[in-house]
Amino acid sequence: MSTTALAPPDGTETTASRSETRRQRRRRERLEERDAAIPAHLYGLKRGTVPLITALCALFAIFTLAPVVWIIINSTKSQANLFGSFGFWFARPFEFFHNFSLLFQNVDDNGTYFQWFGNTVLYAVLGGGGATALAAFAGYGFARFRFRGSKAFFYLMVGALLVPIAAITLPLYLVYAKAHLINSIWGMILPSLVSPVGVYLMRTYVELSVPRELIDAARIDGAGETRIFFRVALPLMVPGLMTVLLISVVTVWNNYFLPLIIFTQNRLFPLTVGMGVWSQVAERSGGNTNLYPMIVMGGLVTIVPMIALFLILQRYWRGGLLLGSIAN
Amino acid sequence: MSDTATLKVPGQAPPPQAARRRGPGRSSWSRRRDRRGLAFIAPFMIAFGLFTLVPLGYAIYDSVYTTRIIGGTTFTGFGNYSQVLTSGPFWGGFARVIVFGAIQIPVMLVVAFFFATVFDLGVARLGRTFRTIFFIPFAVPIVVAAIMWGFLLEPTYGPITHLANALGFGGTNFLSSGLMLPSIIVIAIWEWTGYNSIILYSALKSVPRDVVEAAILDDTPLWKIILKIKLPMVRSAIVMLIFLNTIGALQLFIEPEILSYQGGSITNTWTPVVDIYNTSIANSQYNLGAAMAVVLALAIIAVSVGSMAFRRHRGELA
Repeated sequence: MSTTALAPPDGTETTASRSETRRQRRRRERLEERDAAIPAHLYGLKRGTVPLITALCALFAIFTLAPVVWIIINSTKSQANLFGSFGFWFARPFEFFHNFSLLFQNVDDNGTYFQWFGNTVLYAVLGGGGATALAAFAGYGFARFRFRGSKAFFYLMVGALLVPIAAITLPLYLVYAKAHLINSIWGMILPSLVSPVGVYLMRTYVELSVPRELIDAARIDGAGETRIFFRVALPLMVPGLMTVLLISVVTVWNNYFLPLIIFTQNRLFPLTVGMGVWSQVAERSGGNTNLYPMIVMGGLVTIVPMIALFLILQRYWRGGLLLGSIAN
Repeated sequence: MSDTATLKVPGQAPPPQAARRRGPGRSSWSRRRDRRGLAFIAPFMIAFGLFTLVPLGYAIYDSVYTTRIIGGTTFTGFGNYSQVLTSGPFWGGFARVIVFGAIQIPVMLVVAFFFATVFDLGVARLGRTFRTIFFIPFAVPIVVAAIMWGFLLEPTYGPITHLANALGFGGTNFLSSGLMLPSIIVIAIWEWTGYNSIILYSALKSVPRDVVEAAILDDTPLWKIILKIKLPMVRSAIVMLIFLNTIGALQLFIEPEILSYQGGSITNTWTPVVDIYNTSIANSQYNLGAAMAVVLALAIIAVSVGSMAFRRHRGELA
């Protein structure tokens, strides 16, 4: 593809952008984007086309936001109102804070939501952070060294992307049963360290943003390889690292199959498995448990940090997706 | 297709030829650097070996044995495979994910391409806002997405069921066996359209401006600019998305699994991965499950090799 698509993420800092405030930066980005686009009127559109297209966008936005709006509204409801009142409007009593407080309790021994939340954060930070570190080393190694077997290793890694998760997770469970890793947090964290996508993205990013000449110059100056990596290459890799970190954290945050299989004690569950178990218990009880408001509130508390993270780090993931789009 | 203006590289960007040239004196360093390079990839490769290759090998090993409560583990060769390959329900699940992908992927990509084009051309008001909104579902874990949609589609109280009733489709049950697949297709479209759209938007941004300007000066109608100039230029991104989405579709698991907890009519063999999960974990037939997983892996590899051969045939790969 073109060199344009190969541009590093938007997060690349220039000396000019470092001094400006976030607000100024947003304004500048908006203006740059507007200047880069060809003015719409030049396309010779008929009158009414822009409002029509805007309406189509609005329609899809309603479809996109409906579940999110629903979960916000219904987090304020009691179980009776959850089923007895109109789904897209509020109903008395206002139970938001009560529902929220339930997430700190282990109701009927079905598990404590905030314990799972803590577990998820732990798995995401250790697993996602570790995966990013390994990807940074390996991506740099693949991009800037040529050694025997480097190509073979690389293709082996890319080929593994094709293997279904079930074909890796299932035997992992059997190995764990022998290695006493069932119900161990390491059973969850260690496999999360492997992120072939992260390595692939880091390799692409290093190719683009860490000039070979710079490394060679550092070598001539007598710097060791470790020092070159940490002092010369790593600072240039930061925007790419942020993308990989985001992708790895999200992957661990969303992981369901592995924890579903390897955890049998609910105090170790991540959010995904816990929420799944709650909906199973609630359905089986035929609505006799008071779990439904907790499921709705739990869903809301699960998505809010993720949406916030994505909005705050927008410029990083956009760049990362750009890198992803050249994966061919 | 070169546009140096957007090539923002920190530090000094080397010209492309220089990047490919090997530095002088490489031979004197090369052996030592060999080992250094290996050291950089070693931590990843060790983890990769232990947590990807070893389990994969173990799955293959497991798939040729059979464990019985009485009689222990015996080598059965392709016994498990012949059981999987002749299993009607397994292929039924396979057919279902193929139907799922055959509908969901084209619909999603057409919608995603439409919005990507809209954002690229800047022909909608509030384009940036819509772009951000459309991406929100990507931040929602699939488990939570399935739970939310399960509530919305619930046959008695669900607001969407109410809507269907109000529109004259009385007695609609979105979680019944007949509508389960269409419902999951809608959920998947909800989850992935924004993400695919942003990737296509990034690709569209790389179409050089002067080409489009020249077309405008030639009085080329807009639809022709989109379909004849822009679409071919982002074809490799589209091919990649078809490929990634197909791999994802063949592994459909979380949505049906969660909806089955919420009263959805999902059989134990609804998709291949649902089948693998129930066979191995619920029924403890690990060997059979392993054989299923290997068959699924082979199917995915076949799809990949097939698409690569197709692209090579079309001259897209060297």
